[in-house]
This record gives sequence, structure tokens and C-alpha cells, in this order.
Amino acid sequence: MTLRTARALTVVYLALFLVAAIWPGVLVASRIHPFVFGLPFSFFWYAAWIAGAVPVLYLLDRVERRYRDGGEG
Amino acid sequence: MERWMWVTVIIAIYLVANLVIGLMAGRRSTKSVTGFVAADRSFGLLVMYFVTGATVFSSFAFLGGPGWAYSRGAAAFYILAYGVLGMAPFYWVGPRVADLGRRLGHVTQAQLIAGRFPSRGLSALIAVISLIAFVPYITLQIEGAGIVINSVTDGHIPFWLGSLVAYGIVILYVLVSGAVAVGWTNTFQGVFMVVIAWALGIYLPYHLYGGIGPMFEGIANARPELLIPPGLAATGQPWSWGSYSTYILVSAIGFMMWPHLFMKAYTAKNDDTLRRTVILFPTFQLFLIPVFLIGFSGVLFPQAPADPDSILPFMILRTQLPAVVVGLFCAGALAASMSTGDALVHAAASILVEDGIWPFVPMTERVRRILMRVLVLLTGAVAYYLALHSGTSLVQLLATAYGVISQLAPPVIAALYWRRATTAGVISGLVAGIATAELFFFHPALKPLGMHEGILGLLVQVPVLVAVSLLTPRQSQEHLDEFFPSASEVESAAKAG
Repeated sequence: MTLRTARALTVVYLALFLVAAIWPGVLVASRIHPFVFGLPFSFFWYAAWIAGAVPVLYLLDRVERRYRDGGEG
Repeated sequence: MERWMWVTVIIAIYLVANLVIGLMAGRRSTKSVTGFVAADRSFGLLVMYFVTGATVFSSFAFLGGPGWAYSRGAAAFYILAYGVLGMAPFYWVGPRVADLGRRLGHVTQAQLIAGRFPSRGLSALIAVISLIAFVPYITLQIEGAGIVINSVTDGHIPFWLGSLVAYGIVILYVLVSGAVAVGWTNTFQGVFMVVIAWALGIYLPYHLYGGIGPMFEGIANARPELLIPPGLAATGQPWSWGSYSTYILVSAIGFMMWPHLFMKAYTAKNDDTLRRTVILFPTFQLFLIPVFLIGFSGVLFPQAPADPDSILPFMILRTQLPAVVVGLFCAGALAASMSTGDALVHAAASILVEDGIWPFVPMTERVRRILMRVLVLLTGAVAYYLALHSGTSLVQLLATAYGVISQLAPPVIAALYWRRATTAGVISGLVAGIATAELFFFHPALKPLGMHEGILGLLVQVPVLVAVSLLTPRQSQEHLDEFFPSASEVESAAKAG
């Protein structure tokens, strides 16, 4: 994956996270059912966006480091 | 021995351990301003991870978080939403700030801004803004410590004594060891907070309701309004979407602008450490899940605490848990309070000297270090006094603190990424933004859609900053070259921005 793609992916993910967290995006998750892992859907929604950030940021870091080690970027 | 005595023994052991770690850490630090303020730029990944996590999660998260979940339900989810959004851009911003710090000798945020936009008045203005935001924040931490110790010892240790001992220890290790003590004690405190929160957050729902799912089924039947965003306002009425959404926005923008967090960029050993701290931060953020579970476990409980913020100690005391566990919980809550309190006291004193006094009164390095220590003591004393003599207005002061602190975002971004920005533009923007935020803070009825005053301030600040900058002459090329070293760096920054 190129540096540009990894950065674009991260920025897109964070932008979607922001939209999903505030009105009107959050309206799709503003509900109690279905329960996921015992949590009401609204609670799970926020937890899932945080958990999803872990692999996205990890991937970004791997690509960024490869580019830095290669002396580019 | 009675139960409360055992609890007291555990707390005492925990506090002594903190003191020892804090004092031992100082032996590794040099006797320079960089040593006191930025720990000689020496922190590795483990310390940075817990310093950042433990500093972010204060008494507000540990006591206020469950309090919000308990009394306002889904409104508390706003606290979940902003952390990662606020932190992630620091993956690119942090190393850039650290690089400028190493080359130009910055140890505070105001030095970065006033370095790019030379003005002693600007430096002093930022110092004042930081202090206005800090003092109520520190006071809240001290209150949190006093409340926890008082309630878990069944009132045997009065509020004034509990908060005095806990913060006496904080002040002592910050005085002796500076940033290094904050780092190593926060590592210890951070581990404590995370373990205690997960253990209790899972134990309470199982113990009381037979599981997390059954607990929420019960709440969904009895109080469904608590589980649907945006939850409830403090009055018990439904909260507005405008307010909920702008709280998330202003918190995400203001998050890393808190000087005690921003200054972490100067304490990291290298850029990789800083970047990895950002990468790992979401794992720390997930710690809010059990914290909220603790709050929700109080909803269907037959009795209610006097004040929602004390729901956590209230639930603990009613579970018949062994005294050792209660003591450990208390230590976890103290960890949350102390790990933020020490960073705040330390940052407040550093900023006052470096940005508020030094630009006007020339001093040697030795005098600055002594003065910082005097101010650590003074800041602690003022906050302790306020904690004993304040009413509920502090919560309100803290709410406006975010509105004020978030106004530092445009100057920081302009300093790092916008070559055409000028000193006049930044000063007029900042003054306009703060004036707007304060206007709406004192006249909340004027707020459109219930929007947070910090966002309204930013909506005024940004156009003023841009317009005045474009109307005033561009900064000299040599000055800009200092801040924007090479074309490739600028290009990567622009991509990130």
C-alpha cells in the first residue's frame, strides 16, 4: 500500500467516525435494539468505531514507517 | 479491625507507593528547565502510553463518567466519541511540534505559537487562558480525591484531610522531581485505573443483574430514554442534538489543545514513541466502556446516591465486597484524580513561568526552576482552598474551560501549517474567539440550537484570523524558513493537514 493510500484511508475513516458520532449520522444508531455483546446498539456503535480505529491506525503506522525507513515521505 | 480501617490501610500503602515512585524517578532527571518541564525529552513508549492515558482520564471520567451514564444515560456517549477523533491528528502534528521544540528550544505550547508569531502579549495571553482553564480543573481533581476517601472510609477521614494528604503527596513529588515524577507515577496509576475499572465494570452487572445483557434489558424496559442518544440533559429533560453534537466537536478540537496534553509532545524520547502513543490511544479509550457499565449498574438499583457523581463509591459500598477490594477501588479512583492533577499543577507552574513571567522579566535558568517550584506550591494551595470553599459553580467553570481552550486550535494550526498567517491575524482572531465564547457562556439563551460556546467562538475566530492575516504584511522569508525547513516536510504536512 502506498503512503498516499494509507493516509487517505485514515482520513476517510476519521471523517466517517465524526459523521457517525454526531447528528445527523448518529440517527441510524440512535436505537436500543439489536443488542451486541450485551450492549444496547447505541452504546455498541460508539465502542465499535473506537475499536475500528485500532487496525486503521496500526496499518497507517506500518506504511508510514516503511516509507520513513526507506528515506522517503 | 473494622472494615474502614482496612480500607484506610490499603489507601495508605497506595499513597506511599506513589510517593516513593515519584521521588525515585527524580534521581534520573537533570537539573535544567528542560529536565523539570519536559523530562529531558526522555519518555519511552510504556511511560508515554500511560502518561497520556492516565492524564486524559481524570476524576471527571472516573466519577463524572459513571455519574453521567447513571443520571443522563446515552448523553455520556459523547465522552466516548471525541477522544480518538481529537488524538488521531496528533500522529502528524505531534512529531512536527516535537521537531520544532528540539530545534528552537520550545517546552510549552505558547512558546511554539509566540515563536512563530513573536509577541510577548500573545505569550502572556495564552498563559492567562491556560490558567483560567486549569484552576477549576485542578480544584475538581482535589475534590474528587476528597470525596472518594471520605465516602469509602464511612466518613472517618474528613474531606479536608483526605484531599490534603492525597494532594500533599502529589505536590511533593512534582516539586522534587518535575515531569519525570508525573511520568512514572502515571504509569503506576494508569495500570491501576484500567484494571480496577474493567474488574468492577464487569463484576457489578453480573453480581446485581446476572450479566451485562440482562442489565440493559432491564433498563430498556424501565427507562428506555436512557439508552437512546442524545440522552438527557442535567435537568432530566431530553438533551438537544445541537448541544450533543457540538459538545463532541468542541471536545475533539479542544482535546489536544489542553496545554498539559500538548506539552507531552516535548517529553517523548523520539517521534516514533509519540506516533505509537497515538496509535495505541484507542485501546486506552475503550476503558470508558466498563466505566459506563458501572454507572448503568446504578440505574435499577433500589437506592440512589445523594449526588450522581458519587454513584461509583455508592455502588462499591453496597456490594459487600471485601475491604481489600474497596480499598483497591479507592486507589484506582485516586489514581484517576492524582494522575491528572499532578500533570495540571506541573503544567500550570511551568506555563506561568515560561510564558507569563520570563518573557517580561529576564531570569537565569536556576531562578526559573525555583520559581516553578514556588508556583507548584501556590497553585496547589489555591486549588485546595477552592476545593474546600466552592459550590457547584466549578462544574460550570470547567464547562467553559473547554470553550476557552479550544480557541487555541486555530493559532496552533496556523503556526504549523499556514505560512501566510501573521501575528496581528492570530492575536485578533484569538481575542475575537474568546470574547464570543465568553459572551455566549454568560448569555446561554442567545446560543443558536443550544450549540456549545466554544464552537461559536471558533466560527468567529477563523474568519477573523484569515481576514486580518491577509490584510497585514506577510512574515519575512528567513523567519518562515525556520518553521518550514524543507519542501518535502511541508508537502507531507499538507497531505496530513
